[in-house]
Amino acid sequence: MRHIGKATAPQKEALAKVTGRAIYTHDYTLPGMLWGAILRSPHPHARIVAIDTERAAAMPGVAAVLTGTQADVRYLHAGPRYADRYPFARGIVRFVGEEVAAVAADTLEHAQAAAAAIEVTYEVLKPVYDVHEALATSAPVLHQKDGLSPNVAQHTLAEWGDTQAAFAQAAHTVEGTYTHGIVAPVCMETNAVVATWDSAAQHMDIWAGTQSPFFVRKEIAHILALDRKQVRVHAIEIGGGFGGKSQAPEPIGIAALLSRAAGAPVKIVLSRKEEFISGKTDHGKTMTLKTAVAADGKILARRNHYLVDNGAFTHMGPAYVSAVRQRTANLYQVGAVEFDGKLVYTNKVSGGSYRGMGAPHIIWALETQIDELAHVLGKDPIAYRIEIANQPGDVTPQGFEISTCGLVDCLQEVERRIGWQDKRAHPKPWRGVGVAAMINPSVGILYAEGNFANVSLELRPDGRFLLATQNADCGTWQNTTLAQFVAQTLDLDVAAIDVLHMDTDDAPDDLGSAASRVTFMAGAAAIDASNLLMAQVREQLATQRGIAADDIRFVDDGVRLDANEHLTWAQIAALTGPLKVNGHHKLDQPAPDPKTGYGNYSATYAFGAQAAEVEVDPETGHVKVLKVVAVQDVGRVINEASLDGQMHGGIVQGIGMALSEDLVFDHGRPVNTSLINYRVPRIFETTEIETGYIETHDPRGPLGAKSSGEVSINPTVAAIANAVAHATGIRFRTLPITPHKMLAALRRQQARKTELRPWMRPYNLEVATARHLYPRGLFPAMKKLGETFSTPKPRVSTWDYARADDIAHALQLLRPTDRRVKLIAGGTDVLPGIRQGVYAPDVVVDISRTAGLGGITIEEHQVRIGAAVTLADLTDHAALRAALPGLCEAADLIATRQIRNVATVAGDLSQEKRCWFFRSALPCYKNGGVSCPCYAVSGDSRHHSILGAGRCAAPCVADLAPALTALDAQVLVQGQAGARRIAMADFYRWSGETTVSPQEIIVAIEIPRVASATQVYEKYAQWRGDFAEASAGVRLTWTGDTLTGARISLGAVSPLPMRAVHAERALLAAGADLSDARIEAVARKVVYGALPLRDNAAKVDMIIAVTARALRRARDARHP
Amino acid sequence: MSLVPREIRLMVNGNTYPVQARGCDSLAQVLRDALNLTGTKVGCNAGECGACTVLLDDRAVCACLVPAMRAEGAQIRTIESQAEDGGTLSAIQQALIDHGAFQCGFCTPGVVMSLSALFAQCPSPTEHAIRVALQGNVCRCSGYSKIIEAANALAQRAAT
Repeated sequence: MRHIGKATAPQKEALAKVTGRAIYTHDYTLPGMLWGAILRSPHPHARIVAIDTERAAAMPGVAAVLTGTQADVRYLHAGPRYADRYPFARGIVRFVGEEVAAVAADTLEHAQAAAAAIEVTYEVLKPVYDVHEALATSAPVLHQKDGLSPNVAQHTLAEWGDTQAAFAQAAHTVEGTYTHGIVAPVCMETNAVVATWDSAAQHMDIWAGTQSPFFVRKEIAHILALDRKQVRVHAIEIGGGFGGKSQAPEPIGIAALLSRAAGAPVKIVLSRKEEFISGKTDHGKTMTLKTAVAADGKILARRNHYLVDNGAFTHMGPAYVSAVRQRTANLYQVGAVEFDGKLVYTNKVSGGSYRGMGAPHIIWALETQIDELAHVLGKDPIAYRIEIANQPGDVTPQGFEISTCGLVDCLQEVERRIGWQDKRAHPKPWRGVGVAAMINPSVGILYAEGNFANVSLELRPDGRFLLATQNADCGTWQNTTLAQFVAQTLDLDVAAIDVLHMDTDDAPDDLGSAASRVTFMAGAAAIDASNLLMAQVREQLATQRGIAADDIRFVDDGVRLDANEHLTWAQIAALTGPLKVNGHHKLDQPAPDPKTGYGNYSATYAFGAQAAEVEVDPETGHVKVLKVVAVQDVGRVINEASLDGQMHGGIVQGIGMALSEDLVFDHGRPVNTSLINYRVPRIFETTEIETGYIETHDPRGPLGAKSSGEVSINPTVAAIANAVAHATGIRFRTLPITPHKMLAALRRQQARKTELRPWMRPYNLEVATARHLYPRGLFPAMKKLGETFSTPKPRVSTWDYARADDIAHALQLLRPTDRRVKLIAGGTDVLPGIRQGVYAPDVVVDISRTAGLGGITIEEHQVRIGAAVTLADLTDHAALRAALPGLCEAADLIATRQIRNVATVAGDLSQEKRCWFFRSALPCYKNGGVSCPCYAVSGDSRHHSILGAGRCAAPCVADLAPALTALDAQVLVQGQAGARRIAMADFYRWSGETTVSPQEIIVAIEIPRVASATQVYEKYAQWRGDFAEASAGVRLTWTGDTLTGARISLGAVSPLPMRAVHAERALLAAGADLSDARIEAVARKVVYGALPLRDNAAKVDMIIAVTARALRRARDARHP
Repeated sequence: MSLVPREIRLMVNGNTYPVQARGCDSLAQVLRDALNLTGTKVGCNAGECGACTVLLDDRAVCACLVPAMRAEGAQIRTIESQAEDGGTLSAIQQALIDHGAFQCGFCTPGVVMSLSALFAQCPSPTEHAIRVALQGNVCRCSGYSKIIEAANALAQRAAT
């Protein structure tokens, strides 16, 4: 099998992608193309009283404006029983971000301006966000389905076997409720589309990121009342799918409608924020699971009563409901199962699909209980799983017929490779290993159309082949893999095969790249096509040459007719003429019972196991994944590089799911809609991954292969959670396991007591009183006041640019005029800020190259750093690092290299404070003034201040601020009237804004050099380069070995960097005792006066930890 | 408030181009829309993902955060500059292919540019330095392992 397996073909699109020549929808343009902008609902639930588009339609460049009135056909989505969504809201909006109207105009700015000018009158309705609340009789009703309770989209009851008897007989049972929120696919390329309607030809052409051109064509034809033949989806490169581009993403329908209305091509590209707000997500779930086992450990029964959060509309919800059953009934040998599963509507973004269709979370619940049972039974977790593992020949309670199954081999392999026995028997402190397995019934009857695949294969005159598939390769190496099946069957070089994907005219129908179906289904179709082609070639050559068809062999990139004659494919094509065949594969098994779900769901079942090793930092709550071993029964390895890619990518997504990814909502509005705040793993957060593949040679799979796309992520979350339990003894019942949650759990487990002494800051009484009143009427009142009376902040979509040649020029440009001016150097805070509505200048004045603002000067008694010196200049300056190591340490940990290369010292100090409510342009105190509330009081406050908060709780996260405060720096500022110096202690107001006036410019920072001082900067961030959760700048001064001075400045825990004066005094009072124990006691004083919010108590532990670490390092630096 | 664009001259990949730009236009927009150099991708428009990484005077920067007008006078290099005119790929590009270090490819131009800045500064970087250089490049497909493998291989080769 020389064309599949280990050292195989590189990705077919490699050259195009690595040179930047690949064309994605983002890059695609057509002559005369218009831009589309979508107006979205600001309310989670409201009646649309009126929409007035008159003003918008008259604005410059506008070619079409559409609302729900013009789009009166529902999407087909999950079938007529579930179809509940129109291209635009009609009469009611049901989630923040729902599409209300859209504009096509000559430029994106014109389209956005016109969309903003559409006047919508809403009558706000009571919203519901939580699945339990949505089921209450008092809940507002989003949808009422026949025969179902309000807000229930689907209710499935099923029992296979007698669970009551099983539970009665059980020797042991385990029960738990597992809850998780919403994660987002986060493809690097956001959803985008170019649609063009040709009214003469009555034809719609579409280029879009979609995993299923088949369904896009079907949906677009449906909503535009066209025949499918009138709609064509074209091939284009796609920047990631993972389910986030499955079926027909909403922008596609809107672009098509706009194009028809405008008579021109229309392009829509979702911004990253829009992608988070309106791109379909994974589904949140609550599962109450019970497992009953016999004395020997056999699983007698499982019961799973669960709620799946549908969001506002039904898309892939039913598949998620089904996925819960599929794992609960079939992972390991199970006796009987009982389910009660409800799909529940809430006023949040509609759930779609994301890798695994909920399996990672389901398996987390199942595997947590397997671990708990292993413990009760006194068995090793892997040994137990091997005892209860699925076996070939099993028929499961759901009727799955297991054919090939390498689960036991997978478990044994991961056990060996992770060093399980040793690590379980002799765990290092705060380290643990955990294991989990998976079953993926991916090749099932997935759609109303069944499950079939078609692939066409063409031999061209030049002897090259063209393989055409309607499935979309979003980066999965699908095209390469399919070509390999052809190459293997015909024994020819993969490079001789070109692949066309997606094109609904030029490729035969296939249902799309989802549910890990392509390798199995389209692979089989590719083999079928190859066989058909071979048959045709044989027949023709046999006739032409008068030889026996059986004597013709397909080998060595051609055909061997006899011992002396080998023809190349070019020669063959000359003889046969061009040939084209259609390969087909159909899943030929009866579908499961549509009512009960019982039956052999899939042609084959993929199995696998993963073991994870983690290390927990008990002081910061940080969970680090040290290693993941993944062994997968893939049936047959077609392309090992591709498989590795799928495994690695899925595992790292699983790490994100387990530890940090979570869409955070405030009153129905997602607030972490950026890649800073929605934390996907970056390169420092990956882990050592070891993969192994078991080949069970599935008799029904093409060349024996099974599916591979989603198998990688299925067990990861569970393996990590089980490893965390081994390391800490804590079993989490919610995800993700953030440092905040870990610390809360550790605090409870260890009964930690930390003295906060909130009375040491008298103002806390007022703050605490206000916070107490927020949920008792104060917040809604202030919210209403704020929305009504605060002046909305100005926003700009265009601004001017000027450059300041020197300081005098800059000051001149800063003189008050009617133009709002903003200085920028790196622009890394200002430019995103303008786009978020935080700043609204008419002109930005670039001071990145202004004379007089640069330079690093190191003298005996002081260091002078120019305001516009970049962070990279700081980190790369060897002499500066020797003179002020703590400062350079701080700079090292700021953001990313790209940011540090342009961001400046003064810019870092001047950046806005951190708050995702503020950055979401909510009318909060900071945005709207005194009549407005602080959203952090009742909202998700995990990143907010624990110290010094007043009307605003956003913390200062500029790393250089506490670093420079500890160093006793002074900021040199020049204004209209002259120069002045601001000590760092006076640089920020109590609320965190700087005391630099709008007509002043920071010129330099001066830092005194103190002989025999040691200084460090310690930072805890969940991801390297992220904003700090807590940080401390420390400078200790010495005479000999005696401590004579201490400065401790805290970062990210208060609106401005605070000097920890109690701790400093305590340290100095310690005299000669600077032991670790003493330092720990001193560090605990930094939180005196703290008043944590609901979600940020973790910062108490974190700031104590970083302070103690900083003090120890500064102490030890005395004698390195 | 609408602005009148003015002509600026940008030095991109060794050539100088006159382009029309407004003060609010980013370098990423101008490269893609005015110069049709669509190899530089926009993933977030906020400097958070690194898909738009280009070199500005040999330093890796997010083009979405560089005002086009700032870039006047600077040497800009994009992904389109990496392969030679004859088509020979750079060592970095070839290494990424050889190690299967990308899938959807959307982050890849940015990764290439970040690595190109790194290797120009330091021909044999440590793995830590490689990670520091790539910390601003988000990849959702690959899990990063193969990217690190490719860069390590290049670093080893340069060391020997």
